Order: sequence, then structure tokens, then C-alpha cells
Amino acid sequence: MSAFALLGLTLRARRRRLLVLGAFALLFLAAAVAARVLVSDADGHVDPDRLFMVGGYPLVSAMLLFGWLLGRFPLIATLVLMAGLASDDRRDGLARLYAVRPVSPLAVYGVRAVTLGAVAFLFCGALLPLFDLILIGTWAGPATLVLVASYVLVYGGLTALLSVWSRGDAWLALLCAIASMVWDALRRADMLTVPPGTRDLVTFVLPPQAALFELEGAFGSLQPIPWDAFLYVAAYGLVMFALAGLSLAKRDLA
Amino acid sequence: MIEFVGAGKRFVSGPRPWRGPVTIDALKDVTLSIPEGGAWGVVGPNGAGKSTLFALLLGFLQPTSGAVRIRGLAPRRYVRRHGAAYLPERFRVPGEWRVRPALVALARLEGLRPDVAARRADEALQRLGLEPFADREVRTLSRGVLQRLGLAQALLGERELLVLDEPTEGLDPLWRIKLRAILEEQRAAGRTILLASHDLAEVERVVERVVLLDGGRVREVFETALAGGKGATRGPLRYRLELAGTARELEEAFPGAVPVGPGEPGAYRVTVADEAELSTRLGALIAAGGVVSAVLPETEPLEARVQRALGSGGEAT
Repeated sequence: MSAFALLGLTLRARRRRLLVLGAFALLFLAAAVAARVLVSDADGHVDPDRLFMVGGYPLVSAMLLFGWLLGRFPLIATLVLMAGLASDDRRDGLARLYAVRPVSPLAVYGVRAVTLGAVAFLFCGALLPLFDLILIGTWAGPATLVLVASYVLVYGGLTALLSVWSRGDAWLALLCAIASMVWDALRRADMLTVPPGTRDLVTFVLPPQAALFELEGAFGSLQPIPWDAFLYVAAYGLVMFALAGLSLAKRDLA
Repeated sequence: MIEFVGAGKRFVSGPRPWRGPVTIDALKDVTLSIPEGGAWGVVGPNGAGKSTLFALLLGFLQPTSGAVRIRGLAPRRYVRRHGAAYLPERFRVPGEWRVRPALVALARLEGLRPDVAARRADEALQRLGLEPFADREVRTLSRGVLQRLGLAQALLGERELLVLDEPTEGLDPLWRIKLRAILEEQRAAGRTILLASHDLAEVERVVERVVLLDGGRVREVFETALAGGKGATRGPLRYRLELAGTARELEEAFPGAVPVGPGEPGAYRVTVADEAELSTRLGALIAAGGVVSAVLPETEPLEARVQRALGSGGEAT
């Protein structure tokens, strides 16, 4: 299938982003190795008390921050890799070069989105378990991979849709992510003062943060995977991809 | 083959807090019929609508009024089915791409098998003198070489319709001459070529008809010397006639002949409707004893015709 012809070039054009993500991943792993070497207990696990004794609150806080950031890494990797999925080509005029060839733009961008999503999934699917294995000597099992897949689906689909309409696709997706986190936190704390209809609509349109938190909870506490939450986020992501495809087929190449 | 029927394109920018929506009529009521085969030029001042015309033709944009058809199909459908060769005004590909792999990938998008695509890419590299740059990253190419890469990708698919926006931009004189030969080759193969350019002298050398756009409207359609006897709409033809002997017989054969100037005795300017009339009148002149030493076609340069059509208020293209 000729749409696959651009795969090598797509990855080549994103090699800097891959290198930056790789550098960040190494930073996480280096932190985990350092913590393990410096403050591991008799079982080889990182001991928080020893961590406190070595570096006080700053070191403990730093490790907690690393852990929190690691949880956001699938989101970051997806946004970094998917940024400009279609908008870069529209800006550079490449989209027109594809459009005059007898190949479906849906196939070209579909293959690209799947490839970049797969790269983000493999990247994070390797980093998260490795970090856990180094730091605590075990990993959360398939829940890790389900969590990574959820982020890739939700934010990959959202970025793809925004990419057809805007050059600031990844930034807008990040804004949506932050908005949904804040919205979900306010909703949980019952601090939303908007009418129930509006509240439900906004919750429905924003990325499904509540379901993602549920999946993160299972990942963090080694609980069974909440498949209903995963199905919800997968449906959200697929709807976003479908809307992106529809927009791609209909929108002018200005 | 290609028909624009009252086609128009209006761009409306979204309202901003400091102003309302802005409306721009990039093309207005364009009606053109372009037969299959042959080369057409599109010229006009900046903002005349040349690129928008091409965007409608290739289905990048939908007309807001009227219609565009290629072989009876909507442009987007035609292009999806048959493809088209296209060089954008500012050809760009990601700087990290290497020249040959980029051409191979774009050839693959033409629906070619991998081995055919590789062969076609190599042919294009050779044809456009890109072999020394085959393994270079695009970011390292000069403007002229990048433009040649743009031309190379346009020629990969051997499509029936070629649309080239400013093809000579950045090319050195040698490559302008080579491009002329390439376009002549495409024309001889029966392909339909449309090219937009500000270089009127160059346009005149490679196309048969020229569409002058101004303010989004078709101001005039000219024929160039290359149209040679094909068009019924062509204006009178002017020739420079040089006589070796006296001009006595000239009066009868060419009643409207006028001397070129006092410094050029024996040189006259004559006007005829077509080549057939020229031959008849020359025959009469020679039969009457006139001695003809030269007959040279005198075409008014496109630049002069464009300037006249645009009037003194028009901006040169």
C-alpha cells in the first residue's frame, strides 16, 4: 500500500523529537538507578525513610515529582510525537503534494497516526515498567500498558482532530488536558457551580479524565483493570480519530 | 477538457475582537475552456488570483460560485482518480528528508510499485541534474536545486495534467533553458500544461495561450507565436518584409505596407490575416517582379500586450 511509503520519512522528520523523548526517559531511569543505589533497603527496594535521611524533603519531593511526571509521560510523548500530524503538511504545502496523487489522504494520515501512536505506546510501554522495576523491583503488569494505550488513544485522537483545524494542535490538546484535570478535580470536590446540563456536556466533551484517573488508580495500586473505564476512553479516542478523518476529507486545503 | 464556468472564490476571515470579518474575492466569475493538450500560461499582478485558480483547478479549494470541471468530473474526483503533476509556488519539504528517498516515497504515492518508483526517481534525478544531491538532506540544498527537486517530484507520475506555479523561480539561466526543453517534451507528448509566472518573456517562449488575470477576473486571453495557425481567434499577423530591389510592386501586393524607418531602406512592415494570405500576397509580389530577401514574423512582446491590457493603472506582473 503506497500510503506506507512515507513512514520512513515521517520518522526521520521526527527524529529530534524522538531524541528529546529518549533523553527525558534516560533522566527518569537515571533518577531511579540513583535512588536505588543510594537508598535501597535490605530487599533492594528504595526506602523512603533513607531517602529522607539523605536529602530531606527536597529529595523526597523530587522523587514524588518524578513519579507524578512519569504518570504523565504517555500524555507528553503522545503530544510531542503527534504534534503537527496534519497541520505541518498544510503549513508547508506538502498536503497539496499528497492531494494531487491518487492516494487517499485518509490512508496517508491514518498510517502516520497509527505509526506515531505505536511509537509512543512502545516508548512508554518500555519506560514505565522499567522505571518501576528499578525503583520498587516489580511492575504493575498489564495495567501499565492499558494506561499507556488509553493516553495514546485519547490524546492521539484529540491531537489528530485539532491538527486538521489548527497549527497549535498539541498546545490546544495540552490545554484540553489541563482543563479536564482541573474540571475533574472541581467535579470530584463538588465545587462546580454550573447547571447540571452544562456540567454533563463539558464533562462529555473534555478528555475523559475521570476514566483516566480510574485507570491510573489501578496502575498505582496494582488493582484489577477497570475495563469499562478503558472502553470509555477507547471510544472517546476512536470518535476523535473518526472526526479527524471526516474533517480531513471535507476541509479545503487552503 | 478543463472548464471554469463562472467560477468564483470568496475568502472570509473570521471576526477578530478588534474588527469584523474580512471578505476577499480572490476569483470572480471566471469562465475559461481549456482543451486537452497544449500549454497555457496564467499571468497577472500579485494577488490577481493565479494560485487560487490553480487551487480550484486541483480541488484544493471549492468554488464559492460557479463550477470547475476536468473531463466532466469535479476536480477533486478527477485528481483522486487520475492524479496531476503539481509544483507549488513555494516548494517545501521537511529539511530532514533526503533527496532520493523523498522522490522514491512520492513516486510510491503515485501508486507505482517499489521497483518502478525507484527507477522513476532515478530518472527524475538524472533529468533534473540532481544526482550529485541524491543523498543530501533537503535543508542543505540551494534555492535553485530545491526548485529542481520540486520539478522532479512533479514529473514522477507522468500525468496528463501539469500545473506549475512559478516553475522558473530560483532557476539559473541554464536550467531555465532546460526546463523549456522539458516542457516542450511534455507538450509534444500531448499533455496539458498550465503554468503561472511573472516572467512574461519565459511564458511567451513555452505556452500557446496566456490568460491574463487581474483583480480575480479574466482580463484577456492572448495567443503567442507558438499557437501557430491553430486558433481562429488570433489577431492579424505582422511581418517585416525586406526587398532587394525597388518597392514598386509592393504597393499592389501589400496595399497597407509601411516603411520600417528611414535608416532601413527596403524594409517594410506588412499586416495579413493569416499565413495563407501572406503566401498569396508574396506570390503576387514575386510574380510581379519583386525580389524578396527576407520575411520575418513580428510579434508584439507579451509584456507589451499585458501592459496595454492592464492599462496605465495596472501593476506590471
